[in-house]
Amino acid sequence: MDYGQSLLITLPEIILSIGGLVLLLVAAWSGAKATRAVSISAVALLVAAGVATLCYTGDAFGALYSGDQFSDFGHVLIYIAAAISLMIAPRFFQRAGLARAEYPILILYACVGMGMMVSATDFLTLYIGLELNSLAAYVLASFLRTDERSAEAGLKYFVLGALASGILLFGMSLVYGFTGSTSFVAVLGSLGGGMETGALFGIVFVLAGLAFKISAVPFHMWTPDVYEGAPTPVTAFFASAPKVAATALTVRVAVDAFGTQTLAWQQIIIFIALASIILGGVAAIGQTNLKRLLAYSSINNIGFLLIGLAAGTQEGISAVLVYLSIYVAMTLGSFACIMQLRGPDGEPREELSDIAGLSQTNKGLALAMAIFMFSLAGIPPLFGFWGKVVVFDAAIGAGLLPLAVIGIAASVIGAFYYIKIVKLMYFDESRTVLQTGDGKALAWIGAIMALLVSPLGYFSIPLLGGFANNAASALF
Amino acid sequence: MVDLSQYLPILLFLGVAIAISSIFVFLPMGVARLTGAHKPTAAKLAEYECGFPAFEDSRSQFDVRFYLVAILFIIFDLEAAFLFPWAVSLEEIGIAGWATMMVFLFELIIGFIYAWKVGALEWE
Repeated sequence: MDYGQSLLITLPEIILSIGGLVLLLVAAWSGAKATRAVSISAVALLVAAGVATLCYTGDAFGALYSGDQFSDFGHVLIYIAAAISLMIAPRFFQRAGLARAEYPILILYACVGMGMMVSATDFLTLYIGLELNSLAAYVLASFLRTDERSAEAGLKYFVLGALASGILLFGMSLVYGFTGSTSFVAVLGSLGGGMETGALFGIVFVLAGLAFKISAVPFHMWTPDVYEGAPTPVTAFFASAPKVAATALTVRVAVDAFGTQTLAWQQIIIFIALASIILGGVAAIGQTNLKRLLAYSSINNIGFLLIGLAAGTQEGISAVLVYLSIYVAMTLGSFACIMQLRGPDGEPREELSDIAGLSQTNKGLALAMAIFMFSLAGIPPLFGFWGKVVVFDAAIGAGLLPLAVIGIAASVIGAFYYIKIVKLMYFDESRTVLQTGDGKALAWIGAIMALLVSPLGYFSIPLLGGFANNAASALF
Repeated sequence: MVDLSQYLPILLFLGVAIAISSIFVFLPMGVARLTGAHKPTAAKLAEYECGFPAFEDSRSQFDVRFYLVAILFIIFDLEAAFLFPWAVSLEEIGIAGWATMMVFLFELIIGFIYAWKVGALEWE
């Protein structure tokens, strides 16, 4: 094993870890007044780590960690989402009186964990990456520690997350017990042919643990509470970067470790996908809080992502990656819009009734929000439609026609509440006095994301599709 | 069939551990009962636990600083627990294993400096 080469391949993680440690000391000595400098350095570190990811490829530390194109794609997407979560945050925390330098540092540590998740080719690396990300996430959820809901979100996330980690670990121990290895390659080799019931239980438990992390039905119950309680920039982060990491991880485990038992996990994934789409659509209808609504929207979208995985083909995985990229843009954009809603005293507003008549007070914001909602609903000229097209195309290509048909039918349920938001903004009278707009960063991010998911996004198809195909081919 | 005889040492260890630890618990009780005067009072029968009354509403308030100290203690206690298996296997894991542990200790020290600097260790 060549340590020098291994260290170069894991360079992004090393840059973020060392950078995070240095910034932690800066934060300890300078306190809250260094927040701005630490945030900017954190974004710079993310850029550096992104470049480092692309520079080196190969397996590191005896196939514990893989720096292939698939992990490159995941890394870059995660770093972009994390950097945007950093950029939208400062004003929110300033207003809450909790502008602390620990926020960017925790995001950096979460990114180290997420980077390891997408690169893991061994169950131990997977687990360490997952825990590193989760521990940072628990603290982030309760970052507004004087706010009761934020503290509750952190506690709930921690208890349920620990339970899910236990389930995952139990599944991994079963898989190890029946295959004799924790390495994906070795597991793939020994699971071929007839499979023992114990190993099947291992696969089931591993998938249950991972389903919790991507908040797929029936392990979604924590999502609305945590998303509602966590500070909005943190919710935006939760809905984007960790979703990318956990989905990429699930894909890699399913294909790289359990690829010889596709029939076993395919049924599970199909069930999770359909349950997520339907429940994410139905349960969102009665919600009155925008963040809760977007939580159900994320559950709904995870269902569509998993349809691509259920196909189990290279085309399907490529579709998952395309959908993920579009989903990240739509989600971050929606949160950037919601964060611009403020009450008369500048306090954040996040109720559904608050956006009524928004088109009369702030045309630009209402238009951006409408674009995101139509795109999330998958209505044609917008880019969100393309994500659904590739996913369903892959499912049909793999012979899963009934799945695709049910999925398309169920997506209509979700369209109801997305369009309800648009109706509220454009056709209802404003009932609350609302200040809108909150600094240039939010407006710019909202506008850029709106452009990306607008019909102009279709110009990026050759580029995005090419990268996604390359990444998916690394797994097969 | 799995050869269970290879697990004999751990079985012996568990047996011995349970036996010895029950001796630690029950021997003083027995000796006290046999040699001392048996005059129980309410104060004598009360459980001793860290200075807190043992039975009362679990929602009672007490100082959050106890938690902070306990959490910091656990972190460094675990660090010590990691050092034992590392120390006995140092011969096999070689220079890479040594370097890894040094990195781990270094990171913990940075965490310690942070905790110290932000005042987590100060009682007042």
